[in-house]
Amino acid sequence: MRTIFINGSPKKRFCASSYFLFLQRLFVGGEKVNEHLRTKGDYQRILDRLPGADAVVFGLPLYVDGVPSHVLGFLEEMERFCKEKALHLKVYVIANNGFIEGKQNEPLMQMMEHFCQRAGLTWGGGVGIGGGVMLNVTRILFFIQAGLLMLNLLLSGIQTGNFLPTGPLYSFLKNVAWLLYFNLGVLFYIIRMSSAIRKGQPVGKGYTRILIPSFVFILFADLFFIIISLFEGGLFRGWLAKKKPDR
Amino acid sequence: MKLILHDLGEGYAELLERKADRVIAADGKYAPCQGCFGCWTKHPAECFMKDKLQQVCRQLGEADETVVVTKNLYGGYSTAVKNVLDRSIGTSTPFSTYRGRQMHHTLRYGKKDLWKVVVYGDITEAEKATFTYTAERNAINEGYERSQVLFLKDLTELEAAL
Repeated sequence: MRTIFINGSPKKRFCASSYFLFLQRLFVGGEKVNEHLRTKGDYQRILDRLPGADAVVFGLPLYVDGVPSHVLGFLEEMERFCKEKALHLKVYVIANNGFIEGKQNEPLMQMMEHFCQRAGLTWGGGVGIGGGVMLNVTRILFFIQAGLLMLNLLLSGIQTGNFLPTGPLYSFLKNVAWLLYFNLGVLFYIIRMSSAIRKGQPVGKGYTRILIPSFVFILFADLFFIIISLFEGGLFRGWLAKKKPDR
Repeated sequence: MKLILHDLGEGYAELLERKADRVIAADGKYAPCQGCFGCWTKHPAECFMKDKLQQVCRQLGEADETVVVTKNLYGGYSTAVKNVLDRSIGTSTPFSTYRGRQMHHTLRYGKKDLWKVVVYGDITEAEKATFTYTAERNAINEGYERSQVLFLKDLTELEAAL
């Protein structure tokens, strides 16, 4: 079984789509090919990977209630390519958006289904995830927690000779359990989709989100943008003003 | 202020300019959004890319009625039109609120009137349903009071639809 994983985020690295595709790859066997679709220059390289593949998994960010435009351009090329080569791949989608409701990905999922119908491909379905950016942050927090644990173990070993103190270990496991909890909905749908990919079956559409209350999410999202805007300077340049065009 | 965003080519320029206060031609001669959020966090309502869409969110922001003329692509906007919309998220602010019982960004330019989409090209019934749903979602997201979607049999119906 050969599966192509296509990250459709224009960001160079550390995007939410790459996080979800990483999780998906953990549970899919066989040959796995990773591709990053950022510009038109990536189109032909990725198309050349398609013959011989059984399934394609797209990891897509939601842009203005739909598929990002650079991915749309690729889909048009992929439709032509698949018809010309008579390819009949199965297509799965992991969509994510910055808002908390995963259901906001529904138009994107429908468009991907219509793409499959136009291109003669099998729509495998997928999952729409709300709070993608914040879930991606849990990945960073995991590495910070792991780093802190290593530091604590090292300091404890140097100071007391005990390299496995229970306090830092317990604290680490407790914090990781919280991070895991936030991701439980995502993990459920991704594991379910992995099973469908292995069996070559459709999985239908499902929607999930980061598992925190909506109003808490909004507070953190606002705080996130205040901090970023403070460092990037936008906060001091008419941050919320009705800016007029120069022409 | 009425704005028309279209992917029709230069042949329709005179008609479109007669029907709107501002016309944006989605000709594809610009870059796609890089997802950096700079139009929220660094240089409000302006893109770091110095092409014809650098201030498109300010232009769209000033419109009270927006008409999008687009060829159908999988039940959504054509690639060139969607590129313009992707570059326009600076019409909102990075702050969040609830609209239509879901989370959305607060509006930089306040409430607006009509988000109208005029669709041409081959389209299935399922794609029509997706387009109508997407336009409703866009209207909520961008703070328009109402949305309307018209499906043209061919472009001879365009003038009446505008």
